[in-house]
Amino acid sequence: MKRGFAGIVTLVVMALSILALAVRVGEPAPNFTATDSNGKPHTLSSYRGKFVVLEWHNQGCPYTKKHYESGNMERLQKEWTQKGVVWFTVISSAPGTQGYVTAEQENDYMRRMNAAPTAALLDPTGDLGHLYDAKTTPHMFIISPDGVLIYDGAIDDKPTPDPADIATSRNYVSLALTEAMSGKPVDTPTSRPYGCSVKYAH
Amino acid sequence: MAQRNRFLIPTSCLERQIKLVANFLSRTLTTTCRQLSGRLRRERVRVGLALVLAGMTASVSAGEPSVAIPHGTVELMSEQQSIQPGQPLVLGLHFRLEPGWHIYWINPGDSGEPPRLEWRLPAGLRAGDIEWPEPHRLPIPPLLDYGYEGEVLLPLRIENTAGLAPGKTATLAADMKAIVCREVCVPAKAQLSLVLSASAERPRKSAETAALFDAARKAMPKPAPANWCVAAKDLGDSFELTVHTAAASSQVWFAPLDPLVIENAAPQKTVSSKTEIRLILRKSDQLLKPLSRLHGVLVMPQGAYMIDAPVAPAPTKQFR
Repeated sequence: MKRGFAGIVTLVVMALSILALAVRVGEPAPNFTATDSNGKPHTLSSYRGKFVVLEWHNQGCPYTKKHYESGNMERLQKEWTQKGVVWFTVISSAPGTQGYVTAEQENDYMRRMNAAPTAALLDPTGDLGHLYDAKTTPHMFIISPDGVLIYDGAIDDKPTPDPADIATSRNYVSLALTEAMSGKPVDTPTSRPYGCSVKYAH
Repeated sequence: MAQRNRFLIPTSCLERQIKLVANFLSRTLTTTCRQLSGRLRRERVRVGLALVLAGMTASVSAGEPSVAIPHGTVELMSEQQSIQPGQPLVLGLHFRLEPGWHIYWINPGDSGEPPRLEWRLPAGLRAGDIEWPEPHRLPIPPLLDYGYEGEVLLPLRIENTAGLAPGKTATLAADMKAIVCREVCVPAKAQLSLVLSASAERPRKSAETAALFDAARKAMPKPAPANWCVAAKDLGDSFELTVHTAAASSQVWFAPLDPLVIENAAPQKTVSSKTEIRLILRKSDQLLKPLSRLHGVLVMPQGAYMIDAPVAPAPTKQFR
């Protein structure tokens, strides 16, 4: 049962070897296939035509808690998925580290928090995290309908674990999605992705 | 002395320039070094703060209580025993953390955030920014952070135009927020305060805190010496930082002051000779625009030096 999770994420090998260099705004986002907490595989390229958000997640991280316990992240997930955005929460915590969850634990957490991503991708090997060079929780990426990375960075401009800062912060993800959906260039396409380090296996 | 140093700048840069002419780059770098030396003189004034109170005599003083935070304590300390009307003073934020736990530098690197202070000071007192001692590299593969493990004192200067009557006391208070991390992170908050009595006499140094302030001063990045020649170049996917100095070392690394400039965890290729340090710094994948200045700290075995070099643009043929 536990061993099964080690292999739960199967990445497109070609993407890994060709694009091992860099994930960079303005360039094609590396393709991947990853399995969600209900056992369903998702392949990025099959979502062409839609905006895709990747949200790196660790439920024990104070910076993640800031956005979940305040309801901010859940609100964003609802708002943007209702507007047709595909939102993947990605969990790259290795087994035995903070934020690692089984599929059941993740589903339980999402129910409890009223979280509403399209799916939560389980990445205990860290392959998807390494492919995107995901550094922190929450580190956010946005992929355009034609498969190009258009945002790579923080969720907002207040790099603190304090929920009181949310009200006065500029949410980079909402701004980028709003701009891109109305055909405008993204004003802030990168920012320092603040938060806890992603708990990769060593 | 100063004149001799100034004289040395063009000489040492001249050698460099001769080489660079061969590389069709001399014009850019002549400007680079001249601008830099002027900039460094200005920076010296800014960083000289820690030395302002150097001449004071030591004496005994009661320690201020430290406040418990997760995995350690934090304390607001004064270098001096009393406050003199109209005279600035130096305070320090002293962290003591359990083994393996750390706080962060002004640029925390790939994760974390630096400690922040919100001050409540009597009228006439104004707190300056934290002065950051040289950072340590904190690798958490595949990431890298910059910060301080265990014990560190972060000094800062308080400007003082208050005409406090001798015998009166001043309460200096601050709300501190930080994140304390090992493998995991825990937010830390503390209400800190310090009471100092006003005295018309020149304040005496506190014997209890003197060693801590001295250590912090020693670890403070210094302005790059005037006879160094510092240049930065955009190589497309990386920056080349070159420092001409008689004190070259291969045990050297660069910490950027700003985020999204270099890949913090990428190995820094060092090519050093007796008189030259050359570092190849991989650009951050998140850096989308040309960088005008490379700004940070060069950490060497004998101490850290401030670097602020204009970046010569990439050669016209740029492969990406």
